[in-house]
Amino acid sequence: MEIPYLISNFQFRHPVSYSTTVHFGKSVNLSMKDANILNHNLELQDPSIYVIGQNAFIGSASTKSLTPAQTLSVGFFNFFFFKAIIMVKSKSENRSNIIWGFFSSVKLTIVLLIILAIVSIVGTLVPQEQGAAEFARRLNPAMLQIFTSLDLFDMYHSIWFRLLMGCLAMNLIICSVDRFPAAWKRFTLRPEPDRTKPFDNLPPEQSFLAQGTPEETANKVNKLLQSRYKKIRKKEVGANRFFYGERGNYSLFGVYLVHLSVLLILVGSLVGSFFGFDAYVNILAGEQIDTVMLRKTMKPLKLEFTVRCDKFTVDFYENGSPKEYRSDLSFLVNGKEVAKENLLVNHPVEFMGITFYQANYGSAPGKTVHLKISDNTAQSSIADMKVEAGRSIALPGGEGKFKVTDVRGDIMKMGPAVLISVQPNQGKPVDFWVFKHGEMARKMLPEPMLKSPKFNPSVFKPYTFSLDGLETKYYTGLQVNRDPGVSIVWIGCFFMIAGLFVTFFLSHKRIWVHLLRTDQGIEIRAAGMANKNPVGLQRELEHLTNDLKGLFGKKG
Amino acid sequence: MLNSIILSYTTFVYFAAFMFYLLGMVMNREILARIGTFASLIGLLAQTVAIILRWVESYNIGAGHAPLSNLYESLVFFAWTLMLLYMIVEWRTKNRTFGTFITPLAFLAMAYASFSPNISSHIQPLIPALKSNWLISHVITCFFGYAAFALSFSLSLMYLLKRLDSEERNNIFLRLIPGLRILDDLNYQMIVVGFLMLTLGIITGAVWAHSAWGTYWSWDPKETWSLITWFIYASVIHSRMVRGWKGKRIAILSIIGFACVLFTYFGVNYLAGLHSYAK
Ligand code: HEM
Repeated sequence: MEIPYLISNFQFRHPVSYSTTVHFGKSVNLSMKDANILNHNLELQDPSIYVIGQNAFIGSASTKSLTPAQTLSVGFFNFFFFKAIIMVKSKSENRSNIIWGFFSSVKLTIVLLIILAIVSIVGTLVPQEQGAAEFARRLNPAMLQIFTSLDLFDMYHSIWFRLLMGCLAMNLIICSVDRFPAAWKRFTLRPEPDRTKPFDNLPPEQSFLAQGTPEETANKVNKLLQSRYKKIRKKEVGANRFFYGERGNYSLFGVYLVHLSVLLILVGSLVGSFFGFDAYVNILAGEQIDTVMLRKTMKPLKLEFTVRCDKFTVDFYENGSPKEYRSDLSFLVNGKEVAKENLLVNHPVEFMGITFYQANYGSAPGKTVHLKISDNTAQSSIADMKVEAGRSIALPGGEGKFKVTDVRGDIMKMGPAVLISVQPNQGKPVDFWVFKHGEMARKMLPEPMLKSPKFNPSVFKPYTFSLDGLETKYYTGLQVNRDPGVSIVWIGCFFMIAGLFVTFFLSHKRIWVHLLRTDQGIEIRAAGMANKNPVGLQRELEHLTNDLKGLFGKKG
Repeated sequence: MLNSIILSYTTFVYFAAFMFYLLGMVMNREILARIGTFASLIGLLAQTVAIILRWVESYNIGAGHAPLSNLYESLVFFAWTLMLLYMIVEWRTKNRTFGTFITPLAFLAMAYASFSPNISSHIQPLIPALKSNWLISHVITCFFGYAAFALSFSLSLMYLLKRLDSEERNNIFLRLIPGLRILDDLNYQMIVVGFLMLTLGIITGAVWAHSAWGTYWSWDPKETWSLITWFIYASVIHSRMVRGWKGKRIAILSIIGFACVLFTYFGVNYLAGLHSYAK
């Protein structure tokens, strides 16, 4: 199907590629087929122009370098885009701008919310990030290719998921801008007091007769209304008096507050992901650190200060599960202690814009090692000592010195081990590992390693080293974060709650009270309108009529 | 323990209430439905007492915490909020037919809590991360939300049933169900209450997670499922604004939404994550 189109005015920038060129006033022949290519294949020559109706869209060269996930998300976007354009176009011919029409539709909101729900389901079924490796191993290569190219293992951070969120935000903004003038008008509108429409089908209990002069009655009514309503308007026609008042006009903006809050939360999370970090560190009791490990990149990050864990304590319940754990931290700037804080689970501590959370704990080998040295010729233990890692110690026979250069709580699942470096009086140093469970280690070690002197505790003649034990120490596991966006998120959350409350439970109530002169006296009637909650309005009107009756000595 | 004995009896009281409500409708006898209301009140009262007892007991054994910390306690609390909300609705609408559709949910929750072999009714001490007032607000708001959605689910079922009603059919049971307009309005009100509560629940949960783990959102499956639920109900709320989306479609969407609630609650335990109920 060949349909020629003319580009009259160009109004759209492609959402993904921003390096577009705009061609005005050129007449181009394009077919729907070309436009559809956008959905499937972005490898087009640049500039490619797609035309629907009166509007042109421009692809770009940069689309060539898109990853499959991006391609798909662009295709995805375009699919809805074209669908919606056709939908919107047929509905609102008067809208000059298709994009505007598209994004100001509440139908789009529903579609987006449902799509977001569905893709989020996928994200909970496919293990994300850490859990992904195990799952990925079970997939066949073709599937794996598909999964990785769609970023399915880290879906919520993928470009296409963000694009969906972006669409929602765009939808929100345009929808709000589109409707705001109407809400503003309703907010500022002051209807005529003598409108009779609200009084159609007036229930009889909302009117009654009062005696008195028109002025008197009007004054009394006026006073009551003034105390309860805003924007009071009055009108006099002959002996008749008309009043208008309203309440809850601010509730018209509740919806805007809710929608603003969604944007704030999105902005806050973006700020956090751009300017914040998410790291962790383990500190042995008594030690200090000045670098933490970034979770995302697994790279170290140096802090501008030092954190020392003075003490770590943990309490247990009788059944052995932990009851409470606590780190006593000191913060040092340039070696000087600036602050001391107690860090507990659920009670984070902030220092210089960085927040520390008590995340977990564990035990790790400390520096003290219990070693035995036996003499192979004497077949007996000749030394039994506690040694601190890093310190040089003389060998029993004075042949040289040795020191413990590495202490490991567990190596390759073979239990604790230490690396010993012997420095003979003459010659090169000899390094070897000594396992606590030497027998087990010998069985588990692969052949080549067994033969290597590095794993032979007897390599330095005539001694055999054995490891009796390691002193273990607690370490505290801290989550270390900086998130400048978090306060924006909390403000957003607060607005959302406040906004939802206002939209759901408050309404804009408009009240008319008419005082009509009749032969029997003055007929007072009250009527109203509300944008929602008709039951509430009814109650309010009953209440108002009762009070009005009270003014004139009538029982409600 | 006394509290769990009372709670298992409450299960039967709710079942009795359901039977009376149902018979009241089938036989068109107001008096039976009244007995249903009476049974519901007794059940609610007994359950309230049991929950308080359980709270006190937890302090006596040195693991003091509000009874909201494991699957058993959460199911009990869910049934409690559901019955409480239902009693309010019944009182406000002066209509007892809702009971037939709502009490079975409370009964099922209680029966599952009391008689499932996988659920322990023991009071367990709290791990440090769970000791937080935010967490308590989180659980309370979430469960009020779930209860409101459960009501909305029942109302949606009633709506779909009521649509079958017609002059020719002349079925007493269907005839007694309130009119479509009332059901639809009430349904929407419940969705609105549930949505507000769920929003509060998600937010208090985020505040808690932020103080415990340092991230307010980590896309853990339970979090994500509650967000999915939130998306679904947000779309329900918006679909009201698109002309013609009342009644049946809202009812269907609400049923889907409640399925999401159930999955958030139970299904997620089959996926891995931070939330450790029922493990
Ligand atoms: C994603 C989160 C969103 C939430 C939580 C949300 C929430 C709400 C709420 C609570 C209402 C009031 C409903 C009522 O009056 O009963 C509302 C109305 C509305 N929403 Fe949203 N909304 C969201 C997104 C959007 C988006 C993306 C749009 C884009 C167009 C949108 C457009 C509207 C419109 C046009 C109304 C009606 C306003 C009126 O009554 O004049 N919403 N929304």
